[in-house]
Amino acid sequence: MAEQVYLRMKKNMEIIGYQELKLKDIAYLSTNASEKEKLENLPIYRITKKDKNIVILDSFLIIEHLNHDFTNLEFQLIGPPQTIIRIQEKKKSPSVMIAIGVWILLFVGTAMTIMNFHYDVSMQEVHQKIHYLLTGQEKEFPLWLQIPYSFGLGIGMLLFFNHWFNKRFNEEPSPLEVEIYNYQQDLDNYVIHYENKLNDAPPPK
Amino acid sequence: MPPLLNSLIELIIGFAGGLAVGGGYVAFITVLGIVPRLIQLSKTEPFLNIYAACILLGSLFGTFLSFTNITWNYSFVFIMIWGILQGIFNGMLAAALTEVLNVFPILYKRIGIEKHTMWLLMAIVFGKIAGSIFQWVYFVKQ
Repeated sequence: MAEQVYLRMKKNMEIIGYQELKLKDIAYLSTNASEKEKLENLPIYRITKKDKNIVILDSFLIIEHLNHDFTNLEFQLIGPPQTIIRIQEKKKSPSVMIAIGVWILLFVGTAMTIMNFHYDVSMQEVHQKIHYLLTGQEKEFPLWLQIPYSFGLGIGMLLFFNHWFNKRFNEEPSPLEVEIYNYQQDLDNYVIHYENKLNDAPPPK
Repeated sequence: MPPLLNSLIELIIGFAGGLAVGGGYVAFITVLGIVPRLIQLSKTEPFLNIYAACILLGSLFGTFLSFTNITWNYSFVFIMIWGILQGIFNGMLAAALTEVLNVFPILYKRIGIEKHTMWLLMAIVFGKIAGSIFQWVYFVKQ
């Protein structure tokens, strides 16, 4: 009976520069066969400039290649059916200047949107009325109500996102982290479909 | 038209309007997911029904406040607590709005600022606080 080789493709990987990929770079192997080391170091794919940024290696092609070279082994695939390889020409570190620019943009942008929101729902009038109802005094600028309101606004957002700078309040992932994960998942699904040469559907123009 | 019939029509219109607005309001709160988020944070799932009742009573109380003209004589401390509670609720509402949730993953990918994500979140939080204080202390007086 042929020896079983279990193959688990890595889901996502990032490499820097153009290089040759060995089987162990893109997949985990488990087997009792004596050829394990030979299998692990088997060159699978050479990344060149024309691969651009993303290559999808489909497990089908890899198994076909392996079946051809190792006729005495039986290959079983477990895990994801393909590996997504993202190629960077050189390691780029995030720019602090850009981050500062985005910070200012977000700061001014959210300050303006909250002001527009307050006008939209006539919050000034509602605050004046609620101040009158609760204290019995007419006040044009009910700041005793409005300043605590403003800080509460920030506290509510922190609670929702479960974060104070890099410190988190408990183990749960915040909605933002879930959203970033979902977005990444959608992108992956897209490239798996359209960058895979085995699915010969061209991307929509 | 006889006055009784008039009142009856008014009653039906009012009731129907209330039904529509109430349904819409609950749908709005549900879509934004503030209640599940609060339950998650406080780990108080068994009290879900109590929270639902709270929302209902709160809405009714708010309706009462907006249609009445009575006044109480509470001090500014009470008003401050009231303000901070409104702020927290509104803050969660603003945070839950999809604009923030959808913009972030894109910024995160495009500019490659994985490490600074939480700092950028703080930009949004401080922006909201600063915008709000600026509006009440200075902007509305101009």
